[in-house]
Amino acid sequence: MMVCDNCKERQASVIFTQENEGVTTERHLCEKCAFQSQMFHLDPSQEPLSIQQFLSHWFGGVESMQPFQQTQEGIPDGPTCPDCGLTFKKFLDIGKFGCPTCYSTFKERLPRIFSKLHNGHTTHVGKIPVSFNELFAVKKKIEEIRAQMQQAIDAERFEDAALLRDEAKALKQRLAACQDGGGDNDVN
Amino acid sequence: MSIDKFMKGSVAGWMKSSGEHADIVMSTRIRLARNLRGHLFPIASNPEDAKKVDESVTNALLNSGEKGYEYMRMSEVPLLDRQILVEKHLVSPQLTDPKRNGAVILSADETISLMINEEDHIRIQCIYPGFQLENAYEHADSVDNELEDRLPYAFDEEFGYLTSCPSNTGTGLRASVMMHLPALTITKQIDRIIPAITRLGMVVRGSYGEGSEALGNIYQISNQTTLGKAEKEILADLKNVALRLIAHERRSREVLLSKSRVALENKLFRSLGIIKYARLLPTGEAARCLSDVRLGIDLDIIKDIDMSILNELMIFMQPGYLQHYAKTDLTAEERDIFRADLFRERLRVKHVEKEDTEE
Ligand SMILES: [Zn+2]
Ligand SMILES: [Zn+2]
Repeated sequence: MMVCDNCKERQASVIFTQENEGVTTERHLCEKCAFQSQMFHLDPSQEPLSIQQFLSHWFGGVESMQPFQQTQEGIPDGPTCPDCGLTFKKFLDIGKFGCPTCYSTFKERLPRIFSKLHNGHTTHVGKIPVSFNELFAVKKKIEEIRAQMQQAIDAERFEDAALLRDEAKALKQRLAACQDGGGDNDVN
Repeated sequence: MSIDKFMKGSVAGWMKSSGEHADIVMSTRIRLARNLRGHLFPIASNPEDAKKVDESVTNALLNSGEKGYEYMRMSEVPLLDRQILVEKHLVSPQLTDPKRNGAVILSADETISLMINEEDHIRIQCIYPGFQLENAYEHADSVDNELEDRLPYAFDEEFGYLTSCPSNTGTGLRASVMMHLPALTITKQIDRIIPAITRLGMVVRGSYGEGSEALGNIYQISNQTTLGKAEKEILADLKNVALRLIAHERRSREVLLSKSRVALENKLFRSLGIIKYARLLPTGEAARCLSDVRLGIDLDIIKDIDMSILNELMIFMQPGYLQHYAKTDLTAEERDIFRADLFRERLRVKHVEKEDTEE
């Protein structure tokens, strides 16, 4: 087993190669140190690299990276997750997310990655936690009521529209409670 | 020394040979990866946050009303015991790293093991003996439901259950079956079959750890895709592949028997001789011989050995167990000697005693 170059404690599982003034250094890091590593921090003056090239780097291995070796340090980091500080670049390097918020941070770029990993699939089907089912149900109900309200307005049934508006408002409050409480709120 | 006393209570539920197709499918495993909203994944988290996750999960499960769960913090488990938990497949090797802030909650019969702060906050694992994909899934699913009632899961409308590794995103479900495929191995058909299975979106690996040679002709088949397929579909696809493998294996066994019965009997009985009489028994040889004897029992060629004794030996031949039984550290050579002693002693016993009331 190879020990992490940085913490010298955990098992090294990620290899980072860095090119600096013509000298290539290899660092063997554990996942945790790789995650926290500052090695790939962005220099905004360097030329950007397309997402496709990031992906081909992650999935296609080294050869697709060859022409960019010289500028590797300058590869932009892409979006940075506000919660865990992971950059998209580093995500591609270590292949792991740092927190649930990474998913929304990298949202646009994920379908391509998932498609590769999951046989062309990019969206979840299957089990949904009950609390989320409730959330979906409330959201859907609000949409319905809004549509009814519009119909009522179009038909100049303003009293009905006002009632529907109040109903939608109540549901929105309930939705907000659901979303930040994680289910233990007084939703009834 | 009483070997029985040691072995009782050391055998996890899934090691008892039973269930459908139990001659070929040794065990079925379900794993669900789950994470909590509002916490960094273990890879990025700090000890305080990890502790909070641990407390929430532990409270949620221990308050679920189901009795008999046991909680163990990895940093407090002695090294040898940790190794045994790994050899029993109850925790992953990664979890045992004490710097990980990992913990495990085990059900009394060890069917359910819930790892905390592994790669994900929660990994629910359920192991059943034999081929029982639906039963094992239902059990894991019920534990998941209990937790979900009390914990805010990280879930997304589009991506499903959010996991640290993108290869688990979606259902977070990894289903696998451990299969004994000696005839397909002897006839080298396995070399053609593995690539075909891989093309169907399944992963095949040897039994003891990743990347290693399939020790004792045991292969683990599991699903690769977790996104875009519902749980039922994932299980059905895996079941299909496993059933096809079972059929192939049975046919190969028949062919072997009809075309080269004497050669086969010779091979199997020689292996029986080795595990009954050897004085030095390295891991690889022990695994190969156990596989042969197991095949001999399945084919009704070897008649006086109880299958559950073989299952036990399969587990007890591993280094952690041997040292636990020996109550001391052993060098590699000492282990081979000890393993041979253990096998000789155990194979003199004809049948495993039926379980007493308690360990
Ligand atoms: Zn490290
Ligand atoms: Zn993040």
